Amino acid sequence: MTKYNFWFFSSFIVAAIVALPILTVFSSFFLETSFYFDLLKKTFLYDYIFNSLTLLIFVLIFTFIIGVASAYFVSFYKFPLSNFFSWALILAFAVPAYIYGFSIIAFFENYGTAFTILTNLFGDFNYNIYIPKPDGLIGSVISISLSLFPYVYILTRSSFLYQSNNYIEVGHNLGLSEKETLLKIILPSARPAIIAGLALVSMECLSDFGTVSFFGVNTLTTGIYNSWLAYDDLNTANQISFVLLLFILVMFSLEIYSRKEARYHQPGRGFKPIQKIKLSGKKSLFVFLFCFTVLFVSFIFPVSQMIYWTLKYPKYFSDINILTINLNTIIVVGISSLILVSISLIINYGNRLSKNKILNYLTNFSISGYAIPGVILAVAFITFFSNLSDLVSENTNFGSTKKIFIGSIFGLILAYFIRFFSLSFNGIKSSYEKINNSIDESAYLLGYSKAKTFSKIHVPYLKNNLILVVVLISLEIIKELPMTMILRPFNFETFATQAYIYASQDLLEAAALPSLFLIGWASILLLFASGYILSKKN
Amino acid sequence: MIIWLITFFEVKDADFIASDKNKVKNVNLKIEKQGEIITLLGPSGVGKTTVLRTIAGLQKINKGEIYLKGNLLSSDSHHLEPEKRNIALSFQDNSLFPNYRVIENINFGKKRSNGNKYVYEDKDIIKLLHIEPILEKFPHQISAGEAQRVSLARSLMSKPDLLLLDEPFSNIDQNLKDELQNSVKNLLKKINLTTIIVTHDSYEAFSLADKCGIILNQQLKQFDIPYNVHHEPNSIEVAKFLNKGVFVDVKVVSSDCAVHSLKHKELGEIRGKLLNNFSEGSKVKLLLQPEDLIHDDQSSLKLEVVDRKFRGTNFIYTLKTKSGEHLPVFVHSHHIHQHEKAEKFGIKTPIYIDHLVCF
Repeated sequence: MTKYNFWFFSSFIVAAIVALPILTVFSSFFLETSFYFDLLKKTFLYDYIFNSLTLLIFVLIFTFIIGVASAYFVSFYKFPLSNFFSWALILAFAVPAYIYGFSIIAFFENYGTAFTILTNLFGDFNYNIYIPKPDGLIGSVISISLSLFPYVYILTRSSFLYQSNNYIEVGHNLGLSEKETLLKIILPSARPAIIAGLALVSMECLSDFGTVSFFGVNTLTTGIYNSWLAYDDLNTANQISFVLLLFILVMFSLEIYSRKEARYHQPGRGFKPIQKIKLSGKKSLFVFLFCFTVLFVSFIFPVSQMIYWTLKYPKYFSDINILTINLNTIIVVGISSLILVSISLIINYGNRLSKNKILNYLTNFSISGYAIPGVILAVAFITFFSNLSDLVSENTNFGSTKKIFIGSIFGLILAYFIRFFSLSFNGIKSSYEKINNSIDESAYLLGYSKAKTFSKIHVPYLKNNLILVVVLISLEIIKELPMTMILRPFNFETFATQAYIYASQDLLEAAALPSLFLIGWASILLLFASGYILSKKN
Repeated sequence: MIIWLITFFEVKDADFIASDKNKVKNVNLKIEKQGEIITLLGPSGVGKTTVLRTIAGLQKINKGEIYLKGNLLSSDSHHLEPEKRNIALSFQDNSLFPNYRVIENINFGKKRSNGNKYVYEDKDIIKLLHIEPILEKFPHQISAGEAQRVSLARSLMSKPDLLLLDEPFSNIDQNLKDELQNSVKNLLKKINLTTIIVTHDSYEAFSLADKCGIILNQQLKQFDIPYNVHHEPNSIEVAKFLNKGVFVDVKVVSSDCAVHSLKHKELGEIRGKLLNNFSEGSKVKLLLQPEDLIHDDQSSLKLEVVDRKFRGTNFIYTLKTKSGEHLPVFVHSHHIHQHEKAEKFGIKTPIYIDHLVCF
């Protein structure tokens, strides 16, 4: 078969475009440090690292407890509303951590929602001194944990579903109690899935920008943002990125390793699905209350807070041009996800056909974009296209090309493309790999060309998967904040940026409406994809 | 009717290579007339599928040439793409398109139905292959055997010049297998479709084929009519692979008259026709097949029974000579009495074997 054909070259070009800004991030680590970076090293850099690590450790502890416990309860037990909880618990994904942060502050602040509730219930009193103030690091830990625990929940639950009842029955047969079965059989088998979930949580936590900046916690991410925006020092921003990337790469490797391990946990012949145990009495009440509390705190609470504010301050309906924001969001999300999925599909086919090692390496490198935090990628994006523009204008008659890529819709979509290419590529690849090569060969032998095989056999087969990948990517783009903040055109707002801008101006009540729309859209997308996300295979 | 003056299909000095282990080298194979059925028989992993894939154009060759109807398909410098060969291959794993119904899968075959003209209608093929009840089902809703039949139907619909079948009956129930083998053979003959079938089942290979090739140790060892392959294997390797008998040490007594004579230390004289030339007095190995020795209770030549297996229509007794050789003997299962282990078992003498296969 020809290795160097149209499919190879188109795949190669796209993979190279995605890989170039990522290469910029890596190459910038070796640039000379600036004065500001030296100053930072003597002052705040260790605080940034300390805060980032403290945040990470507590978020990992909380997401582990909430994610694994709720996955265990809904997978192994029958209790009131257990089926409802099994999908409803993923709704927390629809609430970005920074919006959760707005809700916490709004609820617990002086004369906030908690104060109003207490006053309405028990009459006038200075409740403010008794209402806790989950501010700073504590607020960040709570917000990020409750927003990210679904990663652990989904992967652990999926791993539990793969566990054969035979193992559990053997455990009982060997005289293990319920608790011993959990600790000695169930949890160790799900270990790769739990670690993969926690690694994803770590990556998201370390790259969080909106929440920590809202709570005023200085972490490595805010350090990058401040170096670039406040001090106009791209070099320092890149140097801090290096430190952050080291942490992220460790987590990324851990996640990949865990997934490889997880392959050994696929059910084989003789697989017997888990027989759920019906709970009653106190046990049933405890488990129900646990799941209900998690759902309430992670989803119902922030949504109620946003609805309450939106209704309390209806003037923002007219102040905020919500239609334009809806349109903006739909345009960037729609175009980006469609382009991402179409091109990922073509590259997957190119890889399948050419089986070329160089293309394979390049594609693998270009999908590492997902591991790089949005802030770093945005800075790298600007660095790369500024340098490119300078190079072009110095050597040709063309003027500056900066405007094409920086502060434009095109640039924003390109940045989303680089950031989420991995998600889209891998999402399609997982289904593509299920199409046996002999299917392609059968088509050739029946007289179909490569292009016809692609359009008549592959695309119809992957149709459902493609729709789901579009949905999942849309979900990510709707919630994306730092890259959109940095790269969007002037006065171009999405739900995420509008909510964040109001919140950073202390206008939390104004942030409620765009936040509510964001959660609403994200919830619709999540419900659409929930069947797929929660299926045994995914 | 078109009469081909040139060889219909030919492989000349070709190497078929998939990997270091999986290769068949220096193959020469000719199908003179259109409509012949060829089977390639060999153990698993020997490279039979590689041969089919290469003929279909899914793999290249780096030595030799492949011709179909006088046109060059493959050589070290030429490779006609599979979609342009008008050769259909029905894979062992059936490779049905999972998102299309059975009928849609079959209709995919019609795209390139510009080759042979069949006397059979599409619906006849569907009926003959017992596919009618599953036409509206998806591939995951049918059994492996049904999927194989659908795959075969799809290949037939494309009306190819050459049909390649990779283990086409391997997943089909024994009850249906015999009937299906007969119907498929009749159909292929009726539509005059040249076919190469790969299998590891010698009964299947012999019953379907006009000619049968044996692939062993990376070589096409023998290519002949099934009768000859069975009765006149051309090497110890082929005989051992077919696993139809044992080799015993004998001495050639006379080889220059119409009936040749061999001598075994314990069995005595063995008569028959030597297939190869050996001089008198040479020591050779003779292939003894289970049907060669005949049971006779009255005979003075008696051997000890060491094993007895019931095979439905007959028993296979394993007899031991004093020198430790184990000889298989068929006895009809309706034979008046049975012999237990350690009992003595009489063999009719002198022993007469039509074909004396010696090496």
